[in-house]
Amino acid sequence: MPSSDLRLPHPPRGAPVTLRFEGRDLPACEGESVAVALYASGERVLSRSVKYHRPRGFFCLDGHCGACLMRVGGKPNIKACLTPVKDGLAVERQNAFPSGGFDVLAAADFFFSSGMDHHTMMTSPRALNAVMQKVVRQLGGLGRLPDERPGGPPPLPAVSVRHVEVAVVGGGPAGLAAAATLARAGREVLLVDEQDRPGGSYLAHPSFGVPAADRAADEARAAGVELISRAAAISWFPEDAPKPGAPPGLLAVYTQAGLLELTADRYLYATGAYDQNALFIDNDRPGVLAARAVGRLLSRFGILPGERPLVLGAGPYAQALASALENAGAQVTRVDGIETRLLAAKGHSWVRAAELLAPGAKRAHRVRCDLIAVAALPAPASELPRQHGVPVELRPQGGGFACVVDADGASAIPKVFAAGDVTGFKGPEAARTQGERAGLALARSFS
Amino acid sequence: MSSKAIVCRCEDVTLDDVEHTIAIGYRSVEEVKRYTGLGTGPCQGKECMVHAALLCARASGAPPETIAPFTSRPPVAAAPLRIFAAAEKDDDDQAQR
Repeated sequence: MPSSDLRLPHPPRGAPVTLRFEGRDLPACEGESVAVALYASGERVLSRSVKYHRPRGFFCLDGHCGACLMRVGGKPNIKACLTPVKDGLAVERQNAFPSGGFDVLAAADFFFSSGMDHHTMMTSPRALNAVMQKVVRQLGGLGRLPDERPGGPPPLPAVSVRHVEVAVVGGGPAGLAAAATLARAGREVLLVDEQDRPGGSYLAHPSFGVPAADRAADEARAAGVELISRAAAISWFPEDAPKPGAPPGLLAVYTQAGLLELTADRYLYATGAYDQNALFIDNDRPGVLAARAVGRLLSRFGILPGERPLVLGAGPYAQALASALENAGAQVTRVDGIETRLLAAKGHSWVRAAELLAPGAKRAHRVRCDLIAVAALPAPASELPRQHGVPVELRPQGGGFACVVDADGASAIPKVFAAGDVTGFKGPEAARTQGERAGLALARSFS
Repeated sequence: MSSKAIVCRCEDVTLDDVEHTIAIGYRSVEEVKRYTGLGTGPCQGKECMVHAALLCARASGAPPETIAPFTSRPPVAAAPLRIFAAAEKDDDDQAQR
């Protein structure tokens, strides 16, 4: 595990701040998330898994995988990847005893080496079972209650209610392009994005990165789009009306100011796609990262994710990432996952090697690596449109359950559109094009 | 440390667990979820549901487009309950539920 700071000289960074990580001071820079700052300092085990207490680091670095839940500022279960660093911010690992670095509860992984039936929590032999029944109660749950606040809980955040002409969910290539197109056509557009910086998958792609993300966001703002960051659309509630007498159906948005009950004349879901893992032995080891997480570390945060990374995947993204890592000075091993298969990750609290099976080979061979970047096809983030009634279809070539829409992005539900990777993974360039087209169609739908 | 291929990271559901579930006759994503607990953790299936769906499709020989996802329920992303606490609804609204 690296001990020195992995921050590259570029891009320029925010002001230095200090994180309090389990009683120690760690350097960080403004603009980084807690997860990124810990990674740059070599702190890679962020959590322990709920059942076997296996060590875990973040996988997606995009707010979706659930592997970076930490106790931050005295509050449990905070996503370290979406939480910006602040000077003096206290960060601790949870769900481990006595500490996240050394967790005796990891014995569960040995006791249940052939798996745990979570219906009964039974194992064998019986004597061990009796012990386990006592231990099991200590194992359950995730995190501890928040620290008590002097002076009692803060006042409840107010709920705001808004109606706009077009609500766009997701600030990636498709959402930003659609929003800009609509605003140029004179429409009132509110775009909500859960990340702290707009750009979505641009920010994970070495060929696009921060410049493309900033350009797209600037164009949208210049066209008149109202853009709210750190605002996660969390539910479509079909029965609820924001006000008495209003037609039912509202989008609940969790903003930093509180709950926003949002309604619109038209809805566009440009929610992107979730990074997926590949299925191999010990694929959950810290150091097995989504390729786009590695891309984010490199392209957005200017951090060299590893010196000997292994890139798994055969697609164009794997190619782009491997080249970018080489340009940054890393010694890259490429594995297509088709001809040569990745059988297992080796290492405990961090990946040290990979076990590969070459074509025609009878036995596996090992390759030393300090990172495995998995470039599997991301899965469409179709939950919200599904809640809104939009039909989806399992498309293996599209990465998962893709929204069914026509060429203009219109779904079977009136006034509800979808564009970008949520309609089947297609990558930033094609997503932008589809977003523009959906924006034009949405603008026409008003006349 | 024992060797496991993890399908659902949040709930520590392994490939062996899912294959066992399919082998004893459960062939839908919903059934695999209920039997293994897959998809019931903090991420709510964002990483495991497609794997489960493809494994079900392969085992049953069913065309992928006939495989349904499990129901998406609010909230899609974790949010503190306190943001809802100020959203008071009138009694009629409550009674209709």
